[in-house]
Amino acid sequence: MEEKKSLWAFGTPEVVYSGIGAALYGVLSWATNLLQIPGAANVSVRPAVAIPMFFGVAYGPWVGFITGFLGTVIGDLISGYGFWPWWAIGSGLMGFFTGLVANQMTDYKSGSDILKAEVMVIVGIVVGMGLASLSEMWVSGVDMNTAIVFNFVPAAITNLIWGLILTPILMVAYGAVKSRSGR
Amino acid sequence: MLVTWSYRVRNSLMEKIDPRARWIFSLLFLFSITLFWDLRILLFFFVLAFSWYFSARTTWRETRRGWLFILLILFSMVVVNVIITSGGTAGIVDQEGQHPIWGFIITLPITGWIINFTLTIERVWFALAQIVRILSISAVFLIIPYSMDPRLYGFTFHGLGLPDRFAYSMDLAFRYVPTLARDFITTLDAQKARGYEIERVEGGLIRQIRRIAPLIVPVTMGSILTGEDVINAMDLRCFGLQKRTWVTITTYHWYDYALIIFSVLLLLGSLFLRYVLDIGSFWIPTWILPS
Repeated sequence: MEEKKSLWAFGTPEVVYSGIGAALYGVLSWATNLLQIPGAANVSVRPAVAIPMFFGVAYGPWVGFITGFLGTVIGDLISGYGFWPWWAIGSGLMGFFTGLVANQMTDYKSGSDILKAEVMVIVGIVVGMGLASLSEMWVSGVDMNTAIVFNFVPAAITNLIWGLILTPILMVAYGAVKSRSGR
Repeated sequence: MLVTWSYRVRNSLMEKIDPRARWIFSLLFLFSITLFWDLRILLFFFVLAFSWYFSARTTWRETRRGWLFILLILFSMVVVNVIITSGGTAGIVDQEGQHPIWGFIITLPITGWIINFTLTIERVWFALAQIVRILSISAVFLIIPYSMDPRLYGFTFHGLGLPDRFAYSMDLAFRYVPTLARDFITTLDAQKARGYEIERVEGGLIRQIRRIAPLIVPVTMGSILTGEDVINAMDLRCFGLQKRTWVTITTYHWYDYALIIFSVLLLLGSLFLRYVLDIGSFWIPTWILPS
């Protein structure tokens, strides 16, 4: 019988998948970074936002966090936008929270697996983008209404749409691939 | 299409400084400047930030895109937030006794909502403080990708206290970027040969997802399968059993220590000014106010 790994393990596979996930998120973010949401302060349409959430579901919270955090940093570095630590942490939290159900996955294709992942996608986005948006109050001096309307709402809505739709698609594809890997 | 880092060797003053010291300075600068709304103090940070920025010897052409992005943020935050909605001044600027410059009252048709807008001297001055603050923070963080060798990120964060495995993940990620970019282009070309049109990712949401999924899913699964080989290779080399060494390392010099000490003093001094002497809250010169 396959032993369940600890949710918080960070061995060689987690190191590698963190690096790959971050690089993947960064490159795919850069490729889609040209699409800016009108009216939002500093967010863009990023279908790649599903990547940290998927990697969290597949490999655990630490992999999800590093994929989101470092992937955001890489994407912004490649695009020449600089470094915005509070938004990178927000992206990391999206992957972190979805990773909390990684140990409960069975075949990544069943309805219950997908439902658990979707619930955590919502939690992760609300917490991650909420924290990042509210941090603008501290950094830029905006008030809560502005942070919510101009930062949180556009970011959360687009991330929810792409996350809720693309994450299950990636999970189903991963379910088929996983049986080949033998891990 | 190549994915390249913004960094190139410039033999600048900033490149001589250890990346760890530079990160410490950047982060402590951020914490220090966010304590103040007094424009006089913010101008000090502004001069410090841009002195730091120009020590990297970048050109406008290189950083133009980043600055345009920042100016877009500034416009939406300052003009819309502070000047039109007055959001952001609440809690920092006293709402009572402000001095109006211009205003209007309009009633929206159909809904009957009344919009009562007043632009005050205090709002404009706060907007100015906000601009100076955001530009200063932007200068310090925007310059990082242009002035820091990507090969040093892993070692740098290891030196800042991150566990070895996390730091190695960062190293791996930076090394993987060109490989994954190449795989992305290969997949894109293969899909294009099958009639896929990335230039026409338009239409409704479902249509956009149907167009983007054939690109993202194969690239993701391909990279996961590639990762299996890397894991096997690392396990065969006993990765993680002992404390690892790094191929590229940096060493501190006296000026790195000087920068770190300066950064710590900057933060401590800021905390002292703000919380002990109560200096640094929103300030507006009396000569600007009507008598």
